[in-house]
Amino acid sequence: MRITVDGVEWRVEPGEILSAALLARGRRALRVSPRRGAPRGAFCMMGICQECAVTVDGRIRRACVTMVRDGMVVTLQGAGPAAAPRPGAARS
Amino acid sequence: MTVHDLAVVGGGVHGATAALFAARGGMDVALFERGALCREASGVNAGTLTMQMTRTALMPYALRAHAMWASARDWLGHDVGVVVCDGLSLAFTPAEEELLAYRAGKRREAGAPITLVSGAQARRIEPGLSEAVRSAGHCRVDGYANAYLTGLAYRRALIEAGVALRENTPVGGVTPTGAGFELETASGTVRARRILLAGGVWIEPMLAWLGVHLPIKTLVNQLVVSERVAPIMRTVVGIANGLLSLKQYPHGTVVIGGGWQGVGDRERGGVELLPDRVVGNVRLACHAIPALRAARMARAWAGLEAETADALPVAGPVPGIEGAFVCGSVHSGYTSGPYIARLLAERLLGREPDLPLFPIDRLLARPEAA
Amino acid sequence: MSGPIRHAVDLAVLGAGPAGGAAALAASRAGLSVALIDENPDAGGQVWRKPVRPAARAATAEPGDALRADLAASGITLLYGRTVWSVGASLDLDMIDAESGRWERVSAGRLVAAGGAHERVVPFPGWTLPGVVGLAGATILLKSHGIAPGRRVLVAGCGPLLFAVAAGLAGAGVEVVGVADLAARSDWLRALPDLLTRPGLLGQGACWMTSLKAAGIPIFFRQALRRAEGATEIARAVIGPVDAHGAPAPGPERTFAVDALCVGHGLVPGSDVTRLLRAPHRFDPLRGGLVPVTDEAGRTGISGLYAVGDGAGLRGAAMAALGGELAGLAAAADAGRLAPDAFAREAERLRRAMARERPFSDRMAGMMRLRPAQVQAIAPETVVCRCEDVTRAEIDAACAAGARDVNQMKQFTRCGMGPCQGRLCGDVAAELLAARVGTREAVGAFTARPPLRPIGFDELMGDFDYADIPIPEPAPL
Repeated sequence: MRITVDGVEWRVEPGEILSAALLARGRRALRVSPRRGAPRGAFCMMGICQECAVTVDGRIRRACVTMVRDGMVVTLQGAGPAAAPRPGAARS
Repeated sequence: MTVHDLAVVGGGVHGATAALFAARGGMDVALFERGALCREASGVNAGTLTMQMTRTALMPYALRAHAMWASARDWLGHDVGVVVCDGLSLAFTPAEEELLAYRAGKRREAGAPITLVSGAQARRIEPGLSEAVRSAGHCRVDGYANAYLTGLAYRRALIEAGVALRENTPVGGVTPTGAGFELETASGTVRARRILLAGGVWIEPMLAWLGVHLPIKTLVNQLVVSERVAPIMRTVVGIANGLLSLKQYPHGTVVIGGGWQGVGDRERGGVELLPDRVVGNVRLACHAIPALRAARMARAWAGLEAETADALPVAGPVPGIEGAFVCGSVHSGYTSGPYIARLLAERLLGREPDLPLFPIDRLLARPEAA
Repeated sequence: MSGPIRHAVDLAVLGAGPAGGAAALAASRAGLSVALIDENPDAGGQVWRKPVRPAARAATAEPGDALRADLAASGITLLYGRTVWSVGASLDLDMIDAESGRWERVSAGRLVAAGGAHERVVPFPGWTLPGVVGLAGATILLKSHGIAPGRRVLVAGCGPLLFAVAAGLAGAGVEVVGVADLAARSDWLRALPDLLTRPGLLGQGACWMTSLKAAGIPIFFRQALRRAEGATEIARAVIGPVDAHGAPAPGPERTFAVDALCVGHGLVPGSDVTRLLRAPHRFDPLRGGLVPVTDEAGRTGISGLYAVGDGAGLRGAAMAALGGELAGLAAAADAGRLAPDAFAREAERLRRAMARERPFSDRMAGMMRLRPAQVQAIAPETVVCRCEDVTRAEIDAACAAGARDVNQMKQFTRCGMGPCQGRLCGDVAAELLAARVGTREAVGAFTARPPLRPIGFDELMGDFDYADIPIPEPAPL
């Protein structure tokens, strides 16, 4: 089956967990942390730490508990909780 | 033994603000809080500073309180993360439009600068809004604070103002002595000339120390917060009937509230969230701001809110007990609290408050149901 | 579809590892209708996790195979792949089926919490770099997914997992540059009499050591990580000597060029469910931290709620399975479905079996115990809360600003407010605060709230019509 990661199509095996599929293909930096913008990757592999939260089909999901699915679209850029300062709202 | 000019019991926004202004007015003030400052309603509420959920009778107070929050750095001296922005109260159905027009009109009469706008206009103000919005109440006097920062900000301000801050110090009882009051605490008896009971939902048991029975209903408000997400909205969003509050903080989290009721009471706090109501509140939020669907819920919690029989505040002297005062149970109390507590401090300092207080006689003499 | 799909059973078991699996089977055999719920696609928990790729499947049977076969053959309602987000006071569980997206609710009136434990990593500079993974995480990668976290790897921390992971990596053809163990060689020698009580497991340990020796992998006793370095991923790991309490000691550092680092400092009980329901807890450093107070059969202070396995205090898989079985039988007895004398007989058998396991179990728990001096040595600029990038210096500053318990510290700093909700940092953050305030009991624990795991709003709300939202009556005007 095939998934798309940041616009690139990958062949994956049915039954693969997304975090393992990413790691096996050398994608270890999955997102940046919200305050420092520091690179982060999968850490606990058991759904606790949230470091592998990436965007899967437009939704934030933990890669370590997400089974790959044919046609799945994965976005690492901008995934997870990192948020830029917002325009519009004036701070007092 | 020291005799304080004023002992405040309860360290939420009401008690802390009154203590702060009383101390700045020259009084020797001690504040007693059984836990840490602003860890109940004042620290766990949704932080909304809106006129569109405010009771019309409180509007003049809420408008002044909003200005206080917006200038918190000036008078409080510390950051509570206040953001002033547009507020929208949404209508999705013709019935809601009717309700909205009526309620917005009443609030406008009371002084809130609310105008009705079309769905298209509302979407220009808040591009994140759903196409399903038919019309909205728009108010420029809106915004939010970061409620969890309240305790730290007040803590610093009270210490700077010279208030004797007694956190983690429950008061077991208060006895009038004629010349003042004696407070029983774990660290001994404390004396004060005046006393202010500012315990939120615990005002009822506090007044019972003085033999006064004033029933206070405990609301258990459920709240939900998302993890940090990229910007999806820039305003405070509610609905016509008032049971949604929704905004995104500058750091990216989205807080969903509106007063959906969970399980809890004065004794145990907010102990349980009802999943059907969490889901209902989230559905409503995502119906208003569809992009919220992509985010995840990080946490849900329940906080207490106090309500009197007429849902208006208790703020004034305790009848028949010279030197005893009470302040709290303000509907949407986080919004209006600082101003009402400041008025009470003016009264304690012997000055005439700019706006009337809310004497509690009305709640003692004749219950509303009678 | 607007509301949940409902399952009504006599007993719900949350967590299908050794403890939960045994509890479910025992209760089912005693005649209770049981639902067994787990987030993973199959039973086994973390320790007996099912290999998902053929390449990862061992030639010999896995310890979890028998459990999976027994469960599959039982009449138990197996709800795998479910993310549970709410546990109500009535012990109702609300969950989402990851596969179908459906909202389900299990109502039982009795609940066995068997959520297991998760990794503790005491922070050090660079621990947030990609390529740094937990020891348990590395085990999952190796055993379940058949892949290694890197090609040139350092293994560091404490406890038996160190050697299991190093041997596993070596067996997978990975270059293991070394193993850094907080413990001294003499600590392990002192443990030997207790380890000898479980010759099978000791033999497994001996096998790991033999394979490390054969591969020429050096073991650095009483050495710990000083830092990990790299720009966007780990490139180097630096170790140095520590004293008997885990604090840095004088002596030369060693630097290794690596592309992965596996590190773990023991496990922390995942007591979310019992804390959420406000069962009484106590702090037990040997059992990994805050644990629910239970009787020997796992009964908590809340009627109908049982807590078993490593989530109720670290004891290891063998003890977890025995304790789970006992709790499953207790649930049946408490429901009046197992006669008191039959329960007493079974309890006695299990009690004897647990007594045999206890010396080994206690010794292993002791080897993984948190070393407070290691926590106190965390450098000020080191990130403690990964979700919110909160440093040790910020936690100390909150304490200086008057924070006296972890929840107040959280409000001052956002430590523990991120999506992991303090599950990763809570233990270390509490330890840091306790050193300044007094005791772990005094500083408490982060208040547990739903969801048990972050859950997508889209998953939570499902399909609905606006008209069906039960919007409450308007607030007073």
